[in-house]
Amino acid sequence: MINQKDLLPKDMGRKDEQLIKLELDQLIPLLAPYDKPGMESPLTDPKPAWKEKYCTSLDGYVGIDTLTRPKSKEEEDEFVRKFLSGLEKIFSDANNGVLQPLLLTYEYCAKCDTCSSACHIYEATGGNELYRPIYRSEVLRKIAKKYFTTSGKLLGGFVGADIDVNWETIARLGELSYRCNLCRRCAQTCPLGLDNAILSKEIRKIFSQEMGISPVPLHTKGTMNQLRTGSSTGLTKPAFLDTIEFLEEDTEEKFGIKLKFPIDKKGADILLLHNAGEFIAWPENPVAFALLFNAAGLNWTLSSEVLGYDSVNYGLWYDDPQAKKIALGQMKVAHDLRVNRIVMGECGHAHKAAAMVADRMSYGEGKIPVESCFPILWEMVKNKSIKFDPSKNNFPVTLHDPCNVVRQLGIVLPQRNVLKALAPQFREMSHPGVENYCCGGGSGFAIMNNANFPEFRTQVASRVKFNQILGAFKDTISDASIPKYICAPCSNCKGAMRGILEHYDATEKFNLQYSGLVELMVNAMVDIKIPFFEFLEEKK
Amino acid sequence: MLLSLIAYISILLFVGISVYKAYKFATMPMHGRMELYPVPKEKGFEHGGSFYEEVSWWSKPHEVSHMREIVEMLKEILFIKKLFENQRPLWWISYALHLGIYMLMAWTMLLVVGVVSELNGITVAATDTGIWGLLVYYVTVATGIVGLALGTLGAGALFLRRVFDNTLKKYTTPQEYVNLLVLFAALFTGILTWGSDLSFHTAREVTANLITFTPFAASGLVTLHVILVGIMLIYIPISKMSHYVGKYFTFHKVLWDNDPNLKGSAIEHQVKKASTFRPSTSWSASHIKPPDAPTL
Ligand code: SF4
Ligand code: SF4
Repeated sequence: MINQKDLLPKDMGRKDEQLIKLELDQLIPLLAPYDKPGMESPLTDPKPAWKEKYCTSLDGYVGIDTLTRPKSKEEEDEFVRKFLSGLEKIFSDANNGVLQPLLLTYEYCAKCDTCSSACHIYEATGGNELYRPIYRSEVLRKIAKKYFTTSGKLLGGFVGADIDVNWETIARLGELSYRCNLCRRCAQTCPLGLDNAILSKEIRKIFSQEMGISPVPLHTKGTMNQLRTGSSTGLTKPAFLDTIEFLEEDTEEKFGIKLKFPIDKKGADILLLHNAGEFIAWPENPVAFALLFNAAGLNWTLSSEVLGYDSVNYGLWYDDPQAKKIALGQMKVAHDLRVNRIVMGECGHAHKAAAMVADRMSYGEGKIPVESCFPILWEMVKNKSIKFDPSKNNFPVTLHDPCNVVRQLGIVLPQRNVLKALAPQFREMSHPGVENYCCGGGSGFAIMNNANFPEFRTQVASRVKFNQILGAFKDTISDASIPKYICAPCSNCKGAMRGILEHYDATEKFNLQYSGLVELMVNAMVDIKIPFFEFLEEKK
Repeated sequence: MLLSLIAYISILLFVGISVYKAYKFATMPMHGRMELYPVPKEKGFEHGGSFYEEVSWWSKPHEVSHMREIVEMLKEILFIKKLFENQRPLWWISYALHLGIYMLMAWTMLLVVGVVSELNGITVAATDTGIWGLLVYYVTVATGIVGLALGTLGAGALFLRRVFDNTLKKYTTPQEYVNLLVLFAALFTGILTWGSDLSFHTAREVTANLITFTPFAASGLVTLHVILVGIMLIYIPISKMSHYVGKYFTFHKVLWDNDPNLKGSAIEHQVKKASTFRPSTSWSASHIKPPDAPTL
């Protein structure tokens, strides 16, 4: 192990069992009431079995659960060879879709180090060298230079091609690509407009698209599962229809409202796409959507077709061809239903996938316009098409901005306007809007629960976010009788929030609650006579 | 004669290679959208908003302000705004270098203007009575002194910062030190060469000889300086100091390019064209069935 302060990009090729180890006292302190000793569990060591099986030689954490240690020298060499072949391909026409942005970031970094201070992971670790945004980029550059440039071959270390490339180097680099949330906050600050997230993602792509190595939750249980069964949750069409029926009955039972989800309604104006995880983990979210859309008199439908009832697109985080298959499949469902528009529910990466990433994947008649739910929701409030009573939401509320919604799509005001209108105690966190920090769950972290990865996510990647939350509620945090509501209008962000609140026992101890935007809206609906939130019920 | 040749060839190569690089980037295949907000041309720029904040955005006119985009671009070019906002200590020295270079570009042009003026019978000197001669003289003096001082100071300070800053040091390759040394050497010999005559009459004379291919007895220092400037001019565009090219594309073609693919739009036309392309390489993982169309 080396002192992280001395860590150099070329150290990735070292023989050490583990390059660095994070300790609690190196991380930035949490804000009150978590600033007292003993409020946080120490960071653990990887289990011996994991060390044997996976690559724990980076920082001890295991992100890629399919990246297993080689059994022979041949396997080792083959691994390196495959990586290099993939590395060469990212600069070829197989990668046309990102070639220009990739080359710009690859070639022009001035090593000015402006981007570091923007990164929440770098900040959370107290400025640990391993997590500096350009550390990862520079390792990739060194390898590419060494093998694929004339200057690198001839001049070696003079142009930076000074890295040993062995199994450990490559495996560590693969792991390191999963220590970045792809949130692109660093790219906002770069004076040259470069984007280190592109390089993180390209590393993930080489691993998946060339080497067939990617985290199981993203690939096997993610995109592959979705393409096969219809949803990354494994929810099949019959199970989906059952769930809907159950939710309709449950809503009637709880709120006395006859709720009908329109399903596969041909020619509807809107196809509403939810992250299918909502139906399983947070069913009140699709219920709230249905209550609002029905109350506002919108002509909408859900789809029960394969790829039509799950908006997620994990391909975005690690594999372009997978992303394309899913995006085009979803588009086809909308086209077959002959809807006028696709509306994305509260899922940030799905917003980005459908609206922005897939925007240039198809054209012509088959291309249905995609829009966000947030402007529609704000219009319901603005036009008074639904009657709301904001006093029903009279508890402290703060808003977490999902990166994919704000920084990457520029949807900033509608969701705040709703909160300003319907939550009398709404307060912004620090760094609101496009300068938001990632929840720590971005780019797949929220669903990667293998080995000790959740520890990295909750205590490191989500750390800055947790401090923002504690800061936003500092006036009432210690009073457990007051519920404090984190509005996180994104399924993955909610996953990260759940992780934080559970880990720090924050709901139990301080009454910190989380959910989306539509739930707050429904809670304020005049026609809903009893509280929509369980935490309000309990108080009664 | 030889020095004239060096001067002409290096300027030609500087422009030529820069244009070639820009051409290379400009003709790269269309990429998927990767904008990052705030995008200056958007109506909601102040809060980082976009057309997606509107219901049924595609049915409404996309209001963009190219003026705002140009203003933001100028702030970047003239003041290096992002560095100013995000890393002030480095901005001071980086800006010194950049401003110095801008000044020296103006100074060089003014020297040429001075030469042409003198060829047309206008004296360029403090003692001249005409406005033009006086103007050219004083602006030349100002840009020359400020440019040489700031440029040399900036290049030297950036070099030293890289040598002594524990973080930057880790990421700087020997070649990147050389980049700064090339700038420093050309600028510093400029001070040595022209510093003794801050009215820049000598500089103007040498410029006159250079641009008119008139043989003259160049001192060793002048020869060295001209050669170093020549090397610098050729080296900048081939090295990553050509970021003036890259920066155009990173902002205009990546971070600020959010033009949606609407029916009948120019983007749709490009998408159609790109979709017919079949790549010559393909990925090897088993879940990928070649040949795969490029993913935009
Ligand atoms: S994309 Fe986000 S997580 Fe990744 S390096 Fe940049 S700021 Fe850090
Ligand atoms: S801010 Fe940009 S140029 Fe500077 S180190 Fe980071 S990526 Fe490189």
